[in-house]
Amino acid sequence: MGQHDTFDAIIAGSGHNGLTTACYLARAGLRVLVVEKNDWIGGAAVSRSLHDGWTYSNCSYVCSLLRREIIRDLELPRFGLQVIPYEGGATFTREGDYFAYYSDHDALNRELARQNPRDVDAYERFSQAVMRQCRFIRPFLLRTAPDPTSLKPRDLSELLYLVKKANDLGARELGETQRFWTMSIADFLDEHFESDLVKAHIAGGGIIGTGLGVYSPGTAYVLLHHYMGDVDGTIGAWGFARGGMGSITQALAASFESSGGTIVTGSGIDQFLTKGGKVTGVALENGDVYHASVVASNMDVRRTFINHTAESDLPSEFVTAVKRFKTRGSSGKINVSLDRFPTFPAAPDGARFLSGDMHCSTSLQELEKAYDDWKVGRWSQEPYFDMLIPTQIDPTMAPPGKHMMTVFVQYAPYDLEVDGVRSPDNWNETQRQAFATCVFDKMEQACPGIRDHILHAEVRSPYELEQEVGLTEGNIFQGELTFDQLLFNRPVPGYAQYRTPIGGMYLVGSSTHPGGGVMGAPGANAAREILRDVGKGQAMPVYTD
Amino acid sequence: MSNTTQNFDAVIIGGGHNGLTAATTLARKGHSVCVLERSSVLGGMMSVGGAEAPSFTSRLAHLLYNLNPKVERELGLRLNARNLTTVSLAPNGEHVEIDGGKARMMDGALHPKAVAFATLQTRLQRFATLLSRLSLRTPPKLSGSWTDPETFGELMGLAGIGLGLKGMGKVEMREFLRALLTNVHDLMVDDLDDGPLAGAMAADAVRGSFSGPKAPGTLFSLLYRLGNGANLRAPVGGMASAVAAFEDAAARAGCVIKRQSAVRSVLVQGDRVHGVELDDGTVIHAKAVLSSIGPQATINLAGIQHFDVEIARRAKNLRAKGTAGKLNLLLKARPEFSGLPAPLHQARLLIAPSSDYVEHAFNPVKYGSFSEAPTLEILLPNAHTPETPQTLSAVVGYMPHDPPGGWTDALRTKAEQQIMAVLEAYAPGIGDRVQHSELLTPTDIQTETGAAGGHWHHGEMGIDQILNVRPINGMAHYQCGVEGLYLCGASAHPGGDINGAPGRNSALQALKDGAL
Repeated sequence: MGQHDTFDAIIAGSGHNGLTTACYLARAGLRVLVVEKNDWIGGAAVSRSLHDGWTYSNCSYVCSLLRREIIRDLELPRFGLQVIPYEGGATFTREGDYFAYYSDHDALNRELARQNPRDVDAYERFSQAVMRQCRFIRPFLLRTAPDPTSLKPRDLSELLYLVKKANDLGARELGETQRFWTMSIADFLDEHFESDLVKAHIAGGGIIGTGLGVYSPGTAYVLLHHYMGDVDGTIGAWGFARGGMGSITQALAASFESSGGTIVTGSGIDQFLTKGGKVTGVALENGDVYHASVVASNMDVRRTFINHTAESDLPSEFVTAVKRFKTRGSSGKINVSLDRFPTFPAAPDGARFLSGDMHCSTSLQELEKAYDDWKVGRWSQEPYFDMLIPTQIDPTMAPPGKHMMTVFVQYAPYDLEVDGVRSPDNWNETQRQAFATCVFDKMEQACPGIRDHILHAEVRSPYELEQEVGLTEGNIFQGELTFDQLLFNRPVPGYAQYRTPIGGMYLVGSSTHPGGGVMGAPGANAAREILRDVGKGQAMPVYTD
Repeated sequence: MSNTTQNFDAVIIGGGHNGLTAATTLARKGHSVCVLERSSVLGGMMSVGGAEAPSFTSRLAHLLYNLNPKVERELGLRLNARNLTTVSLAPNGEHVEIDGGKARMMDGALHPKAVAFATLQTRLQRFATLLSRLSLRTPPKLSGSWTDPETFGELMGLAGIGLGLKGMGKVEMREFLRALLTNVHDLMVDDLDDGPLAGAMAADAVRGSFSGPKAPGTLFSLLYRLGNGANLRAPVGGMASAVAAFEDAAARAGCVIKRQSAVRSVLVQGDRVHGVELDDGTVIHAKAVLSSIGPQATINLAGIQHFDVEIARRAKNLRAKGTAGKLNLLLKARPEFSGLPAPLHQARLLIAPSSDYVEHAFNPVKYGSFSEAPTLEILLPNAHTPETPQTLSAVVGYMPHDPPGGWTDALRTKAEQQIMAVLEAYAPGIGDRVQHSELLTPTDIQTETGAAGGHWHHGEMGIDQILNVRPINGMAHYQCGVEGLYLCGASAHPGGDINGAPGRNSALQALKDGAL
């Protein structure tokens, strides 16, 4: 392969969405090139070996949202993807107690009754309400968002689809859906449950990755992300990808290459090349140039257009709108090598819930305070974390008898405040260690003495995520999931259907509908639009709900 | 009073402005109406308190900024009010005068972001005017098919708004759909940079809400406030004269108004309302009862057994935690705000020097606490006549309605000291001029007016509690479960502020339903 090669399509970035788009295009017969800045592929769905013998899913860590249509279409199991569901989880209290979540109905009811007998019924109502919302939203994930300002037949038909689905709900249900989408998770939980501990356990799912608090409107919707996926058809289940999240992107890459695709790593995009309002290819930082009439960017909208596109190529209102797109990072990640399984004194012997997601935040107020800390540029004094030890189910991630722990933390700011100055440059080793100390201090609530078993810890703030993965400001969703940035507003109004102001240039990452999480839906939806535009629309599978 | 019975077409529970509006609307259509107010004065949150309360001419609400012009016209309200400009005060003396879409510094120079502000304000006003079309209609039910006349009418109304939206052009329509549910902080700071100008807009958006400017949905609150043109008016002679205007309109229309007439229960038989019983045993028969005291209180008066379990549960869960308090000061002399020219002491003065400040003022109330840097909306009603007794009227944000342990004397003193400290920073020497002070917390407001949580809007104006789900999903069209029973206060669409639309709309709905 020469340094100046022509392809039918070039994908900038080998994150899971970029690879998904690449696969669909390659299967439709296009000659496709994927370029990646890192030496490894995968974006934020990666498995990294940073401590000898251990493998970390050092960004995303659990799998549920990956659309089963995509898994099926791209034959990912054939290329090595295996997702093993995990069950349950728990929140540990300061007093040495816990609330455990079980997927077994009866076990869960007993646990709920232990907290508050009335919450057993409450859970019934709550899960029904959430499931109703999941059922409503799922068909929309693999559909392009309509443009409500357009009179084009396709857009009108998409709008009509939305109206029909809404109408099918009936007035009362529609009101419920309207409320659910605009409520805060805390208010939604307050309407159902009495136990603060139960509420706190569930509420975390509403703020993961967001720049919002549990009392902020719109967080009930974010909770849907937690429930609307599936593993092997079990809706709401979560699982570990065997070998780490990197196995997802490895499987995508293998599927891609088996369809004739090419991947080039080690150099990122310097500039998207254009001529006469149309894209002509990419110039890499190492000087290589590749040509194609279709170029898709897996980077977020700001990185794509502010960093790597000439401003003169774009309408000024578009640039303004892109600059206004909010990508505030709010999450930290700590990946840990353990020399043995930690002790959880509160948990009964052989407790299955230890293989699930564990937390130490015990009240809604505590969660809200964690958010208030972030607002002023500090990490949360009492952080919320989503902590798992996947090696109980996937022993391949550590040497025999040893364990790996993944800790996702809310909240950590991108622009850390130190001595009155807010800047990402404030994140140095000292600050990272102080942040980690804060997290491990809190973790003592669940597993005292955890620090004695730590052989290695990778501590990441939003700044590291930005540097390594390319996520602007470390926002894990490539842009916040607030109403002004969803559906026909994502990433910017008028450009919410994967196309950009530059002819032949597309966006395929989580900056587009339906947003973030390891879903693949943006990538698949974008592929559909691209294939349509190049006259190969029939090559894309049609999904009926 | 003896055990007499009386007969009216309609009985209104609560003599606040919405109750009086509902009454007047019905009376003008020829119906016999009786308004029942439990205290000795009318006005609800506009009232100046009874004889036992110290006399401030605007004791609770002190401004008209969202009075629906159609209501004003239909009622024939005789209001004498003067228009006010706004000054957003800055700690360093670089105050900003805001008059409609114009932003000026104290020396008359344009604010550095004056052009961006004017553009933004024009756009927001356009959006707000479009949305305000929803204010004067019962929210759509859309329960029937397209051929059902009621549903068809609702769809036409919505289509009108849709056309209005399309008529704005693609760019504006897109911006509307993007901005509608966004947070006011980002919208302001994106265009204006943070400072007293952005702070003023943020403060106006969230005043009375359990929400800071960074919360999604707060732009909608601002659009609600701009819906009637945002003409800031201070009634001449204080709010008492505005209450008198509402009372006058009601009396002229033929309403019977009874003070010190608390309702003990709403009488229901066979799922139909047939009147009310007062605390003293008097029974008043009516074909319709319109209640302005909110769904929870109304359900309790009627008896919870008449409502389905789901409705009762939702009414209990209605979010109504008041956050606005009021400080009234009697002063020996007019305060002098640093850097503020004498004539501008007659303006509405805001202490909200940035959107971040407003957010910071909000945070503690989530934990039942009170910020050391509250926001203040200040009026000096007699600033133009310095020889007359001087008062200061300030709406305080944010005060918890239910702090742990309650509003003890110690807590009140502490809160008042914190507010005075802020005032002292902007108007040095004011502390020495205080002759008498009165602090009203949301708990006090609840006690005095009956508003749940002492909430400004009788129920949070969050986007999940407005329009077709206000106050609750399943009871959002003024009808309150039982036939002939209606909600006519701020807990009904469109919401609070001294607006009058809920009163008017509920009355019209009752007439439409043939309840009278």
